[in-house]
Amino acid sequence: MKRTAAFLPLLALLAACSGTPSQPGAPAEKSLAIATMTLPQSLDPKDANGSALPFFQAVYDTLVKREPDGTFSPMLATGWTYDAAMTELKLTLRADVTFDDGSPFDAAAVKANMERFVKGGGAQAKTLNDVKTIEVVDATHVTLKLAQPNPALLYYLSDAAGLMANPADFAKGEQLKTQPGGTGPYELDQGQTVIGTKWVFKRTAKYWGTRLPYDTVSISYFDNETAIVNGIRTKQLNAALIQDADQQIAVEGAAGVKTVKQDFDFQGILLFDRAGMVTPRLKDPAVRQGLNHAIDRQTMLDKIRQGRGQITGQVFGPATKGYLPELDTFYGFDQAKARELIKEPFELKLPRIPAIVSDALAASLQTDLAAVGVKLVWEDVDAGSAIQKIFRDRAYSGMVMNMGQSPADWVVVGELVLPGAFNMFGYSDDTVKKLLPKIQAKGEQADLQALNRHLVEDGWFLPFYRMTYLHVSDGSVTITPQDGMAVPSIYNYAPAG
Amino acid sequence: MKWISGLVLGLIVLAVLLAPVISPAGPDVSSLRHAFEGPAPGHPLGFDSAGRDILARLLYGGQNTLGGALIALLVALALGIPSGLLAGYYGGWFDAAAGWLVNLVMALPAMVVLLASRAILGSTVWVLMVVLGFLIAPSFHRLVRGIVAGVRGELYVDAARVSGLSDARIIWRHVLIVVRAPIIIQIALVAGIAIGLQAGLEFLGIGSGDTPTWGAMLNEAFKNMQRDPVLMLWPGLALGLTSGALVLLAAGLRDTLEDPGSRPRTVTPAVPTAVTPAVTPAAPTAGPGERAALLSVRDLAVAYPSGEVVHNVGLDVHAGEILGLVGESGSGKTQTAFSILGILPETGRVSRGSITVDGTEIVGLPEKRHRELRGTVVAYIPQEPMSNLDPAFTVGSQLVEPMRVKLRLGRAQAVRKALDLLSLVEIRDPRRVFDSYPHEISGGMAQRVLIAGAMSCEPKLLIADEPTTALDVRVQAEVLGLLRRLQRDNGLGVLLVTHNLGVVADLCDRVAVMREGRIVETGTARQVLHTPRDPYTRMLLDAVLPLEVT
Amino acid sequence: MTGFVVRRVAAGAALALVISMLSYTLLSIPHIDVARQLLGQGAAQELVDAKNAALGLDRPALVQYLDWLAAAVRGDFGTSWFTSENVLRAIANRLPVTLSLMAGVTLVTALLSLLLGLWAGVRRGRVDRFVQILAVTGYALPGFLVTLVMVWLFAVELGWFPAIGYIGLEESFTGWLSTVTLPILALSVGSVAGVAQQVRGSVIDVLRQDYVRTLRARGLPPRRIILRHVLRNAAAPALSVLGMQFVGLLGGAVLVEQIFGLPGIGSMTVGYTTRGDIPIIMALVMISVIGVIVINLLVDILIGWLNPKARLR
Repeated sequence: MKRTAAFLPLLALLAACSGTPSQPGAPAEKSLAIATMTLPQSLDPKDANGSALPFFQAVYDTLVKREPDGTFSPMLATGWTYDAAMTELKLTLRADVTFDDGSPFDAAAVKANMERFVKGGGAQAKTLNDVKTIEVVDATHVTLKLAQPNPALLYYLSDAAGLMANPADFAKGEQLKTQPGGTGPYELDQGQTVIGTKWVFKRTAKYWGTRLPYDTVSISYFDNETAIVNGIRTKQLNAALIQDADQQIAVEGAAGVKTVKQDFDFQGILLFDRAGMVTPRLKDPAVRQGLNHAIDRQTMLDKIRQGRGQITGQVFGPATKGYLPELDTFYGFDQAKARELIKEPFELKLPRIPAIVSDALAASLQTDLAAVGVKLVWEDVDAGSAIQKIFRDRAYSGMVMNMGQSPADWVVVGELVLPGAFNMFGYSDDTVKKLLPKIQAKGEQADLQALNRHLVEDGWFLPFYRMTYLHVSDGSVTITPQDGMAVPSIYNYAPAG
Repeated sequence: MKWISGLVLGLIVLAVLLAPVISPAGPDVSSLRHAFEGPAPGHPLGFDSAGRDILARLLYGGQNTLGGALIALLVALALGIPSGLLAGYYGGWFDAAAGWLVNLVMALPAMVVLLASRAILGSTVWVLMVVLGFLIAPSFHRLVRGIVAGVRGELYVDAARVSGLSDARIIWRHVLIVVRAPIIIQIALVAGIAIGLQAGLEFLGIGSGDTPTWGAMLNEAFKNMQRDPVLMLWPGLALGLTSGALVLLAAGLRDTLEDPGSRPRTVTPAVPTAVTPAVTPAAPTAGPGERAALLSVRDLAVAYPSGEVVHNVGLDVHAGEILGLVGESGSGKTQTAFSILGILPETGRVSRGSITVDGTEIVGLPEKRHRELRGTVVAYIPQEPMSNLDPAFTVGSQLVEPMRVKLRLGRAQAVRKALDLLSLVEIRDPRRVFDSYPHEISGGMAQRVLIAGAMSCEPKLLIADEPTTALDVRVQAEVLGLLRRLQRDNGLGVLLVTHNLGVVADLCDRVAVMREGRIVETGTARQVLHTPRDPYTRMLLDAVLPLEVT
Repeated sequence: MTGFVVRRVAAGAALALVISMLSYTLLSIPHIDVARQLLGQGAAQELVDAKNAALGLDRPALVQYLDWLAAAVRGDFGTSWFTSENVLRAIANRLPVTLSLMAGVTLVTALLSLLLGLWAGVRRGRVDRFVQILAVTGYALPGFLVTLVMVWLFAVELGWFPAIGYIGLEESFTGWLSTVTLPILALSVGSVAGVAQQVRGSVIDVLRQDYVRTLRARGLPPRRIILRHVLRNAAAPALSVLGMQFVGLLGGAVLVEQIFGLPGIGSMTVGYTTRGDIPIIMALVMISVIGVIVINLLVDILIGWLNPKARLR
C-alpha cells in the first residue's frame, strides 16, 4: 500500500510536466470534436452511406435539406414540384453557388452527379433506380423523370443521392475519395486529417448558406464506447452517440455531461423465411404468431436494455404514417397460447453476431423459445463472414437485427417488405400485393396502417423493442437529434447556453 | 509457496471436474427475470446478466478454460518436444529445417492467423486452442533443442553410444531425463499464458461463442460493469488464482528441480560416535597452545540447516609450508576450506570454533573486514578451471579487476602486472591470453590463469581446492610443478585440498586426513604415508599405494 | 558480424516471402464477403459481383497474390478497401503510436524487472517472497481491469492525463508523454511481472556459478560482483524473454489501444482483419514479420555482446 502511495506523486509529477493537452488551439476559435463508430468508405458521394452522412454533410451540400424534425427544406434546390402522376419531379436550383475552383453549381452538375451516382456501384445507388432520365431545362432547372412513383425520392435527395460534388473532379479518378470537393460549409483539412482515425474539417472561406457555429469540426473514429465515454468525461470529446445501455449509465452519472434521448433502432428477429424455404414450419402464420407470443419483451427490455426503450410488435417507427400505438403491445407474453399456436416442436437455426446478440439475449431467447417447444440453435459467425452466410448463402430463416426506423414510410416498405436484402426469399402475400400499388401511388395513411397491421398480425417479424440511444455532450454543446437518423446531421450542433 | 499453489490448483481442478455434482443447475439454463440478482437458495453466487447461475457457469466454464489450455499444451508438446529432441540430437539438415520453421511460426502474425483460422474452421474455443498450441510449440522446440544440443557432446551420452545403445534408447533413457525439469516448468508457465490469452481473445471479440469459459464470463461482466460490477469478481478470481498459482508453481518447481546447489554435495548427518579418532581430535600437531601464525583452525564446526557436516576440525599451516588435506569426496575438506575463505554457500555457516588467518580471528569477523583479507592475505585456487572464469569477460579484465580494487592500482599498471603474472605462470603468449575469452583457451591454460589470479594480490596463504583434478595427466604435473615453484619463491603457506595421495606425496610437507567431517590423523607427509596410525588412512593408502607412492 | 547480419537479413527476406504467401492464402479463402460489406446488406447480387470484379476478387487467389507481390516489391501496397486510405500512409500514421507504446513498455519492463528480479534473486527470503507475490499479482490481474482502473483514476477522476488520444512526438514531447504514459504503465504491469520472474531465475542460476564464488574469494565487494558479473550473465536469458515479450506486445497492445482510443497498429489489426481488408492486413503482416526479424536480430546481437560464446555462431 505504501508503495502505491509513493508511486502517486511520481505520476502527478509526470502529469504536471505534460501540461494540459485537452484544450488545443486559441480560445477565439470555436471547435467541435465529435466521436463516431462509423468508418466512411471514402468521401466520394457515390460511396456515401446513411450513418456516415455527417462526414459528407461537412464538405458537400444536398439538394434538399432534412430538418431535425424530418421535414424537408430548401438547400441547393430552392423548390420542387411533382406532376399529378407523381412521375415527374421539377427542381429549381440556387443560382449563386460555386464550387471551390470557381465553377458554378448548375443543372448540368446535378445531372452529372446523379448519373454518376447511379452507375457508381455504391450502396445507395439503388435509391435512384426509379429515376429514368434527368433533363436539364436551363442552368437553374432540372426535371427528374421516374419510371414509377417513388414516395421516398425527396428523402433520398436529402440523403446520399442528393450530395453534389464538383463534376470537374469526376475525371480525376480516385481523387474524390480522399480529397472531396463540394459546396459544403467546411473543407477537409488534409494536414490534420488521418483517414481512418480522425477527420478534421475547417470552415470554407465563403459559404453561400447559413454560417454554422463552429470554425473547425473534427470527427474521430473509435471502435468501442468505453473510450468515447472516457473522452466525453474528460472533455476531450464534445459530442457522441452512446448506444450501449451500460455505457449510457456510465456517462449519465458523470459531472457536467448533458444527454438527449432518442429512440431510433428497433431490435428484433427479421424472419425472412416466411415461405418456409429453410425452416418449413415458418410457412404457417400461426407458428410465427406463436413465436411472437413466446418471448417476454418487457423482461428483455428491463434486463438487457436496462429499461432503456419501449417494447414493440411493429417495424414501423412512431414518426411514420403507418405507425399504430396499439400494435406495440399486440402480442402479450403468453406461453400457453404460444404452445397452442406452434403445436409441434421444431428447430430454428439463427446466426449469432456477438456485437448484436449479447449473452443475455442469446440465452433468454433460447429459454423462452424452448418453453414453447422451439429449439433455438445459435450459430456463431464473425461480423465479416456473417454477411456471406446470411445474404449470399441464404443459410438462415432469420436474423437478429438492430434496424434504424426511417420516418419515411416508403423507406421502411422498401427495406423490409419489398423483395430485397431483408426479404431475400422475395416473399409476399395477397394483402400486401393489394396494398403496395396503392401506397406507392398515393401513400395514404389508411393504407399504410392497414399494411402495418397486416404485417404484425401475420407475424412477418419478431420485433422486441425500440432502443433508446443517448446523445451525450461534455456540456459545451447542445445536440438536436435528427429524426430518421441515429447520428445527428452536422447542422444540429450548437454551443450550449 | 509451491505446495500452496499446488493445493490451490488441485482444488480448482477437482471442483471443475466435479461440476455436475457441485453445481445445482446447468451452465446454460437462463431465467432472464433473475438477471443480476444476488445469491438465492440453490444459487450461492447469484445470477449473471442472462439470469444464469454463476456457480454453474464458473465450474463448467472452468472445464472449457482448463480443457482448452490442456489442448493447447498437448498440441505444443506434441509438436515441440519430439522436433526439439531430434533437432538437438542429430543437428544437421533436420535442425536447420526445424529452426527455419520455428522462425516462421514465431514471425507469423498471431492475430491474423487466429482470426482467419477461426473464420475458416469455425469459432469454438477448441479450434482457437489448437491454433494457439501450434503457435506456442516453438517455445518448447527451442527449449528442448538447446538443452539436448548441450548434452549431446557430454561424456555419459558418448559412453552410452560407445556401449552400443540405439539412438532411440539413448534419447529415451539419457537425454529425456535432462530436459524433464525445464519442460515441466515451461508447461506450468505456458498453461498460465494459454489461460490468460484465451481470456484476452474473448475481449477482442475472438471469443468462444456459446461455450462458457472464464474469459467469456469476464467479458460479459465487463459489458455490464456499470450495472453490476460484482459480476467481475468470480471469473476474475478464478482466472487470477489459476494463473497466479501456475506461475508460483513454475517458480517453485524451478527452485526444486534445478537447484541442488544450495546444499553441499553430500550431506553427512552428524553422528558424533560413529568415528573413533586414533588420537584425540586435532591433537597430533595442533595443540591448543601452539597455534601457527599464518593459519590456525581449532574446533571448527560447519552446519547446514540439514545438519552439521564438519565437526571439531583443527589444523595449522605455517608460512612456507604445504599442508595436504586429504579425504574422500564428501568428507568435509572443501567445507573446511570454504570456511577459512568465508565463502560457504548461503545456507551454511561456521557454528563453532576458531579460525585465525595471519593473526586475525575470522570467526565472527564482520564480512567487510573478512573481505579485506581475501585476495591479499588468503587466496583461492578452485577445482574446475573452466567454470571458475566468468564467460562474459576477457581473461585480462578478470585479472585486472581484483588488482584495481584490492591494490588500488591504476589501469596501465594493473595491465602490466597482469601480463607479468601470465608470464609468471608460464604462459607463452601472455598478450593473446590476456585478450581471450575463457571459452577460447584450454583447461590447463585456464587453471594457470586462475593461479595467476590467486597470486595477483600477493597473498601469504593459498587455499587450493583439488587444483589439478580436472586436468589431464601431463598438464597436472606441469601445474603442480608451477605451484611448488611459486610456493618456494614467495614463501607461501598452502592448504592443498585433495583426494589424490600421489599429489600429497609429491608436494606436501604435512598431511591431515579427513573422514566424515573429522580429522582422523595429522602428521608429516612421510609419517602419514609410510606409517599411518589410523585404519582409515591405511585403507586409503592400500587403495592407491602400489600404483603411485613407492 | 556483417556476414552474420547479411545472412540473417537474407533468411528474413525468405521468411517474409513465405509468410506473405501463407497469409494471402489464409485471407483469400472466401469466408468474408468484402463487396457486400462495402455495399451494405441490401445490395443486389449483380452489384456485389461488379464490386468484386472491381476489387479484383473474382480472379484466382494465386493471380491476386502475384499481383500484390509485384506491386509490393515496387513499394506499392495499394489503398484500403474500407476507408480508401493509402496503405503505406495509414501504416505510417499508426506505427509511431504502437512503437511508442512498445518501446516505452520495453524500457519500463527492462528497468523494473531487472531491479525487482535482481533484488529477489540476490536477497531471497522475505524479499524474494514479496517480489514473487507482486509479480504474481501483476500477472494474475486481468489486463483490462488494470487499464480501466488506471483510466478511471488518473484520467477521469484526477485529470492528470488525457483519457484518450495520441499526440505525436514530433508535435510536442510533453504532449506525447502525457498520452502514452498511462497506456505504457497499464501494459507494463503484466510484462514486468513475467520478465522479473525470468530475471530472478537467471540471477539465482548465475549466483550459483563457480566463478561467482571465485570472485568472492578474490575479495571483490558483493555490489561489484552483482552489478558487473551477475547482471551481465543473467541479462542474456532475460533479454530473450524481453524480446519475445516485445513481439507479444503487438497483440497485447490491442486492448490498451482500444480503451485509450489510441490510433495504433494493434486496434487496426483486429478491425481490418475482421472486415477482410486485404491490402491493409497484408501490409500489417509484413510490418509484423519485419518487426519480428529485426527484434530477433537485435536480441541476438545484444546477447552476443553479453555472452562472447554466442558470438561465434
